[in-house]
Order: sequence, then structure tokens, then C-alpha cells
Amino acid sequence: MSERAWPGTAALIAILALGTAASGPSSVPRRRAVEVPVAAAGPDEAVLGRPLALAADADRLYVVDALDCAIKVFTRDGRFLRSFGRKGAGPGELSFPSGVAVSGDSVVVADKLNLRIQAYDRDGAAGGGFQVPFAPDRVFDLGGGRILVTGNPTGRGPAEPILHIYDAAGGPVWRGLEARASNDRVLDAFRNMVLVCPGDDGGFFVVFRSGGGEILEYAPSGALRREIRVDERYAYPTVSITAGGRSMTLAGFCWAASRDRGLFYLAAAEALDGRDLGPARTVSVLDGQGRLRAVVDLPCAVHRFLVSEGRMFAIDDEGALRVFEVGP
Amino acid sequence: MRKLAILALAGLILVVTAGAPYASAVDLNDQTDCNTNHMKCREYTLNLDAPWYKVMVLLTLCDLAFCKCALSV
Repeated sequence: MSERAWPGTAALIAILALGTAASGPSSVPRRRAVEVPVAAAGPDEAVLGRPLALAADADRLYVVDALDCAIKVFTRDGRFLRSFGRKGAGPGELSFPSGVAVSGDSVVVADKLNLRIQAYDRDGAAGGGFQVPFAPDRVFDLGGGRILVTGNPTGRGPAEPILHIYDAAGGPVWRGLEARASNDRVLDAFRNMVLVCPGDDGGFFVVFRSGGGEILEYAPSGALRREIRVDERYAYPTVSITAGGRSMTLAGFCWAASRDRGLFYLAAAEALDGRDLGPARTVSVLDGQGRLRAVVDLPCAVHRFLVSEGRMFAIDDEGALRVFEVGP
Repeated sequence: MRKLAILALAGLILVVTAGAPYASAVDLNDQTDCNTNHMKCREYTLNLDAPWYKVMVLLTLCDLAFCKCALSV
């Protein structure tokens, strides 16, 4: 390169550096979530004992309560409507339900300790279901009558699939995403924790809670379509957790996740005293390419949430339902 | 005396042979219980949604209880 070219090159580098600085963390819009006041709890059955998952349709919110073995139905403003399901192993009864989804005209529930998926109509009348060969954890509607069921690996065998797709009649369609297995089953349990967000075309997205910065996109067939690299400005902590003389380094990539209208809502875990990881107080909004679009501050830590039509339904530290406006 | 010894040995073999399937069925049931309890322990822990230190300790306890259960079968 000639000496005359140097001033021009230096100017170009300076411009590029300025451009990089301008797109740094300070340029990401930051806003506060607007809380929607929720009516007082009402009857005893409206109180959530151990809410584990949420699902919504156009005018209802369904919360699965593992303690009460019930599905609790709310309006989208958080007003309690009714509850259905009870503890047991018979039709319509539940044992540690842990997942819920709205699929067509049905509400499907992961009936974990009965090893089955149960279906109800929107009014709570039991309407069939099917057995599965593992303890179902979460359940998601993929459209066209297909249901995606996640299962936590037992850690006792090799190549256990985490994801399973069934048709409406309970016929197995696909299974995949083999669990990571090593000699350390506790570490494996963290490495195999996944969050799932249904896609728009029958496909779905997978986020590893202790993952390394990407979102996996799967086609409706179950084939891995692409890995979406998450924006470097999406910050998450990595912490060494020490217990009983052993230490484990874990990344708190994502505590909870949801997807709404093409946007991902990812809440990175929060570092607690630099020695532990806990639920988040901020949610990052990313587009379909993984670019950070906004950061939303919440007034409380949230354990689980669902974003639907710009509205976030979240479970706070006390196990109570909170509703926020978070959409753009 | 020799006849008596043969009879005793045959009786012993008969008892062991007859008892073996029963004993293995009991072991199988116990092992199934160990697996079921281990699964429940892990599922309760993983669904606690607690800070990960607590999850780590509880998962370790689940595995220790499973080992103890499996060894005592």
C-alpha cells in the first residue's frame, strides 16, 4: 500500500469504528414494561399453587398448576374464570401436570406422572388423549393437529431424544434432539434444559437454557433448518457454582423464552451474588435473525412467561400471575 | 449316606431353580421402583424453577438416592 493511501485508510477505519460504537449496547432501545392491573385473586381455586406453564388463545389464558393438578383459566386481563382437572389417574384427572397448549378446539395437557397427554375441550370437559413412553414435560401446538412434547432425559441411557412430535390421535410422527450425555449426570441435566417456541409454519425453535448463544430453528419435518446466532449485545452471565466441594461452570443463556409475531423474547438468567443463577428481571427482544431490537425492564423477577399479541403473561417470585405490555 | 447327600443336593437345586424366577422378579420390581423414584425426584427438581445452586444440590441428592436404592436391591 502506498503512503498516499494511508490517510484515506485511516479515515475509513475511524468511520467504521464510530459506526461500531454507535451500534453498541447504548443504542439498543430500552423501555419499561407497562403492567396491566390484575383483579384480586377471587376464590381459593384462583390461587396458583405451582404454576408451570402457560398457553393462550384469542381471549383466554390457560395456566397449568402442578400442585392443584388443574388447569386454571383466566381472561387476557388476568381475571380468573374457572378451573378444570383434579388429582388422579382416571379420564380427565391429572398427576403433576407440567405443560399446556391450545391445539385447535382442544386444550392439551402434559400429564407428567401419568405418562400421558390429555385433551379437554375449551370448557374443560375431558376429550381423550394418549399415553407416551416417557414423562412429558412441556407441550406445544405446531398446527395441523400436531403436538410437540418435550421430555427431560432420565440420564440413565444413551441418546435419549428430548423432542417428540405426535399427531392428534397420538401417533408418533418424529423424535429428535438427542440429549447430551457424559459421566456427569447433574451437569448433563443443565446442558439438556431446553425452551421451545412454536414457529409460524409448523416448525419450531429451540433454545438451550445454558446454551452458547444460538437459537435452533427446526422445519415442520423435524429437520434442523438453521442456527440463529444471537446478537453479541445480548448479555448473559456465566457463573461457577460450587456445592459440596465440586464446581460447575454454567452459562445463564436463557431463563425463559417466548416468541410472538416473529420476535423472540429471551430473558437471560440473572447472576445472584456472582455465585448462582436465578430468574430474570429484563427481557431482550430479538428479531428473526437474532438481532437485538430492544431491552424491556420488568418490575419483578419472572420465572416463566408467555408473550401473545404483545402482552406478556408472567409468573413472578410469589407464583402469582402478572400481566405486562411489552410489545413494540 | 451317599443317597441322602444326593437327595439333599437335588432338593437344593430344586429350591434354587424354583425360587430364582421369583427372586429376579422381585429385583426387577425394586429396580423399576428405583427408576420411577429417580425420575420423579429429577422431574420435581427440574420443575422447581429455583436458582441453579439449589437445583444442582437436589439433582445430586436424587442421584445419590438412586445409587443407594440400586445397591440395596
